[in-house]
Amino acid sequence: MSGRADEVLRYLGAGSETLKESSEAPALRREAEQLLARAEAAAAPKTLCRVFPLAADAATGTYSLLGADGAPVLTLSGTLAHTMLEGCHKAALLLATLGLPFDSMLRTQQARGMAQAALLDACGSVLVEEACDRAEAALREECPGLYLTDRFSPGYGDLPLTLQPQLLRALDATRLAGVYLTDTCLMNPSKTVTAIVGLSTAPRQARIRGCAHCALRDTCNLRKDGKRCDSL
Amino acid sequence: MENAVIRFDQGFIQLDGAMGTLLQQNGLKPGMHPEEMNLTAPEAVTRIHRMYVEAGSRILYTNTFGANARKLAPAGLTPEQVIPPAVQLAKKAAEGTDALVALDMGPIGELLEPMGTLTFEDAYALFAQMAKAGAAAGADLAVIETMTDLYEAKAALLAVKENTSLPVLVTMSFEAAGRTFTGCTLASMAHTLEGLGADAIGINCSLGPVQAAPFIRELRQHTGLPIIAKPNAGLPDPDTGAYDLTPAQYAQAMLDCARAGATLLGGCCGTSPDYLSALRAALATVQPTPGKPEGGSFVCSPTAPLPVNGVRVIGERINPTGKKRLKQALLENDLDYVAALAVEQMDAGADLLDVNVGMPGVNEEELLPRVVKKLQSVVPLPLQLDTTNPAALENALRVYNGKAAVNSVNGSEESLRTVLPIVKKYGASVVGLCMDEKGLPATAEERITIAKRIKAAANAIGIPDEDLWIDCLALTVSAQQEQAAETLKALHTVRCELGLNTVLGVSNISFGLPNRPLITQTFMVQALAAGLTLPIINPNQTELMDAIAAHRVLCCEDSQCAAYVARFADAAAAPAAPKAAGQALSLEESIYRGLQKEAADAAKVLLAAGESGMSLVEKRLIPSLDRVGAAYESGKLFLPQLLGAAQAAQAVFDHIRAAMQDGGEKPVEKGRLVIATVKGDIHDIGKNIVKTVLENYGYKVIDLGRDVPPETIVETVTAQRIRLVGLSALMTTTLPAMEETIALLQALPEPPAIMVGGAVVTPEYAQRLGVTYAADARQAAEVTKTILG
Repeated sequence: MSGRADEVLRYLGAGSETLKESSEAPALRREAEQLLARAEAAAAPKTLCRVFPLAADAATGTYSLLGADGAPVLTLSGTLAHTMLEGCHKAALLLATLGLPFDSMLRTQQARGMAQAALLDACGSVLVEEACDRAEAALREECPGLYLTDRFSPGYGDLPLTLQPQLLRALDATRLAGVYLTDTCLMNPSKTVTAIVGLSTAPRQARIRGCAHCALRDTCNLRKDGKRCDSL
Repeated sequence: MENAVIRFDQGFIQLDGAMGTLLQQNGLKPGMHPEEMNLTAPEAVTRIHRMYVEAGSRILYTNTFGANARKLAPAGLTPEQVIPPAVQLAKKAAEGTDALVALDMGPIGELLEPMGTLTFEDAYALFAQMAKAGAAAGADLAVIETMTDLYEAKAALLAVKENTSLPVLVTMSFEAAGRTFTGCTLASMAHTLEGLGADAIGINCSLGPVQAAPFIRELRQHTGLPIIAKPNAGLPDPDTGAYDLTPAQYAQAMLDCARAGATLLGGCCGTSPDYLSALRAALATVQPTPGKPEGGSFVCSPTAPLPVNGVRVIGERINPTGKKRLKQALLENDLDYVAALAVEQMDAGADLLDVNVGMPGVNEEELLPRVVKKLQSVVPLPLQLDTTNPAALENALRVYNGKAAVNSVNGSEESLRTVLPIVKKYGASVVGLCMDEKGLPATAEERITIAKRIKAAANAIGIPDEDLWIDCLALTVSAQQEQAAETLKALHTVRCELGLNTVLGVSNISFGLPNRPLITQTFMVQALAAGLTLPIINPNQTELMDAIAAHRVLCCEDSQCAAYVARFADAAAAPAAPKAAGQALSLEESIYRGLQKEAADAAKVLLAAGESGMSLVEKRLIPSLDRVGAAYESGKLFLPQLLGAAQAAQAVFDHIRAAMQDGGEKPVEKGRLVIATVKGDIHDIGKNIVKTVLENYGYKVIDLGRDVPPETIVETVTAQRIRLVGLSALMTTTLPAMEETIALLQALPEPPAIMVGGAVVTPEYAQRLGVTYAADARQAAEVTKTILG
């Protein structure tokens, strides 16, 4: 399981050389594994996934996810939406959250010490990404014969965070997953991820994963080492 | 105004079903507030209520689920506008029948503190506004429903009880694992809400009747109140949202809820009058299932129910008497220190925590509730509120989330008169001290007399025996040797003859004697044998916790000795102490390796050898932290190690501070700065990391917390003449708040230096705003050094 623990340490800024060479890495890896287990036991992870018909409007360059009544529940515009959704006839909304109990655990851990808290926080990030991966895998299984785009989220590229209220409403996320949104579009519980996935009958070329699309490309430790997070 | 007489305990009472779906069929548009229909489509609302009356519903929930001022504001509406018509519409539908009208109150729609930012007091005010409007409009009762946060349910329940005389039903929504989204358990809900005076409790929404039935059964074990089951029409299809039970299936499954003990039955999402008609027919075939709760003492937080059915350890550490560091923390408002004491006791095995903050120089009435909120944000353990100030007690019980214990009432007429009503109102447990206005009696018999007096007074006001714990008081054995036996004798009688749980502050016994732990441990073991169930001790004293672990084995409380074996399994395998005193690590090395105890020990040795605190900080501690910082920057160390070193430095600082105070030296303080996450930003772990590192460079960090309005930052900077401000923003949506704060600070006559950081902040952005960028805690320390020195 050192793969997951290494992922935790990567969230804490460790480059791959450090992971290999640091004499401190094995102890931290062990601690990360223990915390991952405790977090998994305490958290109440929840995922939501819902597929919507997608309508493209060439005139406005927008893509709309349609509700049961045919009215749009979420409308996306801009370069990223176009790159990702062109040619898709459906789109899925995904949500994964570790729930409020993880945040309680993180507050307790902060009282034990910020070192332990930073480690737990990174464990949470790993766990919520894993939950997202599981939701995406389930979606893939439910849609045989369809091709999925990479996941993308409000806040990536030119896709504004201000889409979050509609996105969460479309998933009924407060009622079904206990996820709340502040008026500044921050999600609570803190370890919550929302994403959009396009579905099409033909293979998709456009990618979102990778440095070209990443907001952290200028400050990324991996890039400084000449490495990429999608090819470790 | 006369309230309708409602007997919830005789036969079944049928509630109604879903409102929202039917409103949609009657013209409610997406994005519109359902409550607007009370004004725009009154006939439709009455028609829906009437359909439920005809389907057998005897309690109609008004169309006011989201009628709180916060939710209504975007529509330009107020509770006073939508609630009176809602009550009237339901009354009209009930005309000529025995159906009653219940003011419906759902969640506010924002998370309460500590998870969110809505305060308990604000939540209370929002519900109070609804309750007053509903009562004035003539509602027969109030219902609080679909709560996922026990704290919010408590705010609503208090609001109804303090502002109206309406009976009140409370239901919460549980997930399939038996907890709400906030982690609240069924047991915690039952004991807390019954204690606060709810007339019936139960569950609604979230689950179908099949999943709800076992939870109803569990509730039955924890409450004597009538139980409500108002589940959905099964489980929803993830894509269509449609529920999976037909009316007939739903009604059949509801019988399981009835057999499990529910007597108030209805439907939530997905149900319609058809479902309720089917339910009426089904209920006609069965009788209510009588049941009784298990009984017994119980306290809790929302997530940690604590039945007192064996020995439970009360941690005594949060009490400033004789504790210099805690006194200082309370005076300086350093509640993080108090929180750390709490977590330490929890990790050592405490089951609940005594909380006493009474000391000269603090306003206990204001401080105790604040400490309670802080502690409940970091530890799940139930708390025992320890104060002699009735106002402080009431303030603290009010904001406590769960069922608390109170320490204490005594046998004096005044104490009984002032304390017991507060205990009763908030549904707490209370410790009765066997003393009165004449002091502490010398004999066991006299103490029993007082215990009986307290019991009679408690029972008379409605506090049951299980909520009364008796403290027979331990005296110092070196001063009054024969008293130890009297205490044990009294304790035995209280436990065996009165059948009450017993509390005892054990540590007092050994004052003034050598090898105190031995006396304390021996006396505690004697007391446990005599019937002590709630020892108040320092759980960090291993010998006491060891003795309790052994006691639990011998009393069959530790099934198959599992906990005992686990406790000592590691001890057997642990290697001997790794190093002799002569090979102690240097201060520098201890800090680099993040070893707190070793670092503190090394500092102690250096201080004892005559090195000044200041020199220790400047010549050893800071250079060590710099070395750690450099190793972190070059990727040799990880963030947890950077922070581990900071924590080791903290341990050193604690010693230096104590030593300097004792020696009359000026405390180490290298300068002060303010840090905060900006308005709208609620996630603050990054800011807290920066705080930890800066504090351990010797800077005084004034932490304003998260979601801080620009004005608060400006006021603090002005009032305290601050020269450096650190701001963190996590999201693009909160950058405007950061910019606003910076603009206000830069407009001050003496603008402070500003450093910024956070996920979305870049060096270019900082430069554009004329402030300094700090990528991480390490850089923040560098920036701080250049500015504050």
